[in-house]
Amino acid sequence: MIEFNHVSKIYGKVKALDDVTFTVGAGSVTGFLGPNGAGKSTALRILVGLARPSSGSATVLGLPYAGMACPGLRVGTLLDAGAQHPGRTGREVLTLGAMALGLPRTRVGEVLDLVGLTERESRRTIGGYSLGMRQRLGIAHALLGEPEVLVLDEPANGLDPQGIHWMRRLLRDLADAGCAVLLSSHLLHEVEQAADHIVMIGRGRVLAQGTVDELSRGRGLEETFLELTAHTDRSPGGGASPGIDAGRGAA
Amino acid sequence: MTRAAHHLDDIAGPGSSPVTKDDDMTADTPIPFRRLLIVEARKLVDTRSGTIISLIMVGLVVASVVARGAVAGPKLQTLVGTAGIALGTLLPVLGILTVTGEWAHRTALTTFVLEPRRHRVLAAKCLPPLLAAVALSLFAMLVAVPATAVVAGVRNMPATWEVRPLGLLGWTGGNVLVAAAGLALGALLLNAPAAIVINLSTPVLWAVVGRLGSVGATLAEWLDLNTTAAPLTSGDMTWAESARLATSVAFWIVLPMAAGLVRVLRKEVT
Repeated sequence: MIEFNHVSKIYGKVKALDDVTFTVGAGSVTGFLGPNGAGKSTALRILVGLARPSSGSATVLGLPYAGMACPGLRVGTLLDAGAQHPGRTGREVLTLGAMALGLPRTRVGEVLDLVGLTERESRRTIGGYSLGMRQRLGIAHALLGEPEVLVLDEPANGLDPQGIHWMRRLLRDLADAGCAVLLSSHLLHEVEQAADHIVMIGRGRVLAQGTVDELSRGRGLEETFLELTAHTDRSPGGGASPGIDAGRGAA
Repeated sequence: MTRAAHHLDDIAGPGSSPVTKDDDMTADTPIPFRRLLIVEARKLVDTRSGTIISLIMVGLVVASVVARGAVAGPKLQTLVGTAGIALGTLLPVLGILTVTGEWAHRTALTTFVLEPRRHRVLAAKCLPPLLAAVALSLFAMLVAVPATAVVAGVRNMPATWEVRPLGLLGWTGGNVLVAAAGLALGALLLNAPAAIVINLSTPVLWAVVGRLGSVGATLAEWLDLNTTAAPLTSGDMTWAESARLATSVAFWIVLPMAAGLVRVLRKEVT
């Protein structure tokens, strides 16, 4: 339901994305895993039409995102929970979204319940929200239109352990109901527990992809991840890893 | 999408009703423009800062009309015109804040994901400040009538009710133009502080340019929107005045808005 097809993105001389190809199917929670600066956010922005690829294409439900008539009803997106007007209330943000999508106002209360924000919290301005509350609000906004596809950029940032547990359950339930979920993260354990599929990315390239079991190769996902991303490490001495090809083979 | 939809209703709990959607709400039709317009208009007043700006504009219109009445006497047309000083300063600022706000707070990230056809969002953003310019102009006239009557009564003077209808229409048009100039400059720069500084410093700039010999004087005569729009209030413009107004409108509204549109369409949202 999500398809990246040889997507490259070049900023000046920097290749932010290099020939990225992967798909996310219905019923799957796919973790987009990579160190900071690997190109995860760039890829997601290209997916939802906020940035243009230098070459290649990304489609959602078989269409370029911007080619959909009303993408907000089919695709739920959270790219940055912090990107909110601090003077607006959480409820108002959801009301604006519901109005734009033509949804009844009762939907606002429903998504607030879904993400566990109380009535009182929803009437406070976002300037006073913790990052965890902003994440919940952002997820509520993404769920407004009952989407078939969810795209979430670092949704677990700022969530407490209960929040992470809650989100994992929510995404699992949505996927079991037929949703395709793509979430990015640099936190290995979070992805390992929430996702069934994993796409590892480093320096703009897909390093490996497959199920959690395939990528763990019997010794834990962390080993594979550190090995594959060793050459993207900022610390000195990190050389190319001999494990990359094996990782690809698992895809 | 029904599978996911039904499930969401399930986990929303037993108290939630199945989502009923508007008749025109389907993923196969784009968001109607009227809906975008209502949403963008609402964004102007749903934050404390937005409400404060709106209240300041209304307050300044009332204050300037009443104050002028107290000083200049009960002359309706004069009192209405005074409100133009407040509107001429604040309407461009409203326009600038309207088109730059989403880039400052990065809410464009959400807005353009809901409606990827960015030109529609920009159009929906531009209309409310233009309508506000018309509404505030009418409001100034409405305030000026009782203000004139009260001043006449208090100071025991005969009121001058004479107005030139075409002049008031032209004055309203002039207010719409300054609001549009703010929108255009905001769209071009997508940076509120820069746009506001440029907008507020242009009168000073033209005062200087106008004194730089005959070339400067000609430039100011043709390009200073405040000067070229002034004849609108007479309700009786000459061809030469219209040509100057059209030139300055092209320079301050049409060109920057066209360039701003291209910028908004192309800019990567981060």
